[in-house]
Amino acid sequence: MSDPRIDLLLAMADDELVIGHRHSQWTGVAPHLEEDLAFSSIAQDEVGHAVVWYGLASELTGKDPDALGLGRQPDQYRNAILVERPNRDWGYTVARHYLYDTADDVRLVALADSAWRPVADATGALRREERYHLLHARTWLDRLAHGPVDARRKLGEGLVAAFGEALGLFEPLPAEGDLVADGVLPVPHAELLQRWLDMIAADFDALGLERVLEEGATMADPEFVPTSSGEMEAPATLSGPHVERRDRGWVPVGEFTGRGGRHGQHSEDFAEVWQDMTGTYRAHPGATW
Amino acid sequence: MTSRTVTAPSPEDVRAVLDAVPDPEMPPVSIGELGMVVDVRVDGGRVEVDLVPTFSGCPAIAVIREDVERALRPLAGVDEVEVRFVRDVVWDPERITFAGRRKLAEFGIAPPGSGQTLLGIGGVKCPLCGSRDTVADSPFGPTPCRATNYCRGCRNPFEVIKP
Repeated sequence: MSDPRIDLLLAMADDELVIGHRHSQWTGVAPHLEEDLAFSSIAQDEVGHAVVWYGLASELTGKDPDALGLGRQPDQYRNAILVERPNRDWGYTVARHYLYDTADDVRLVALADSAWRPVADATGALRREERYHLLHARTWLDRLAHGPVDARRKLGEGLVAAFGEALGLFEPLPAEGDLVADGVLPVPHAELLQRWLDMIAADFDALGLERVLEEGATMADPEFVPTSSGEMEAPATLSGPHVERRDRGWVPVGEFTGRGGRHGQHSEDFAEVWQDMTGTYRAHPGATW
Repeated sequence: MTSRTVTAPSPEDVRAVLDAVPDPEMPPVSIGELGMVVDVRVDGGRVEVDLVPTFSGCPAIAVIREDVERALRPLAGVDEVEVRFVRDVVWDPERITFAGRRKLAEFGIAPPGSGQTLLGIGGVKCPLCGSRDTVADSPFGPTPCRATNYCRGCRNPFEVIKP
């Protein structure tokens, strides 16, 4: 049986690698030069963070970090579906950036208390660097939320589109119970989800964006996706809790069922980003960079 | 192998060499001056160096590893060099030495202690003319550890070591 810590590391590494790759697709074409720089720099950080997690996974698997990052088949990637979606427009880009980086922060804060020392140690440098991502995401959330009308509408649409899939970042890992019992993951994903909802609800309340949690509070219908062998698999895709207003906060209601990104089940959009991301590596296996 | 006639270098000798290995992206400053050296151990002819990257995503990590190995191998008494990047130390700009800060400023990069804020609200001392009449342009820059600012005093853009 494989080490459940590998699932945790790959979930985080793949999230960072894929969102980093999506961010890098703004390089050269962002709305203005400062944002070109910002997304390129954030992309570089995220890919660097992926390398940190692949490095730890490499020690457990004996596989080269490059092979882990770029040499797997699509259904072996464990990123959440949220991060593989195309950038669409600026509203969606900002929405996803905000939802992802807040969720990543909640995860890193919890892992600082991991009983597995190498993970706890790594969170120190990562959180120091992620401060700039959070600052960037919150600045843009705030700016678009304050209009003009078009900007606020596009941000709202982006948040509604991204929110359901952002819940998939909290899909329990295959051996979640073991990871929690061993203290490697000090807080189960169900509790991480609640912490994240508390964090973003505070921002949304301040900006009058609560409607997003009402409209976007459920995960989208499952999609049929081909497996690596080319067969169409039954839609055992992820469906998750919805979010309800209770008292002064938001709570998830219901459980995750089916399989999502944490089990290697991806959307059609992953094929495109996977080919783009791994093309050079696959064309020149074993090349020295 | 012939019997050793030269003695191995001391950790201080090794640190002196590291103080002269240039950072690939800011060559006037050495990796020692940037505070990247965490520990040096010498055991006979084997030298182990622990480094901390300034930023985890720094693309220069592989280059720095090679540069350090290349600098230490020719030392008399050194047979083997191992460079490790450690994760249990968090790099912070406060690790940059005073010599390093002076060289960064001469290179046109505002060193730590120039009035940086996380939000980048400006007022960072311009390394080119010394003015405080400066504004933040972006909290991001050409490398992960640098941000970009603009000086209204001398009308030049300049870079800043992120706080």
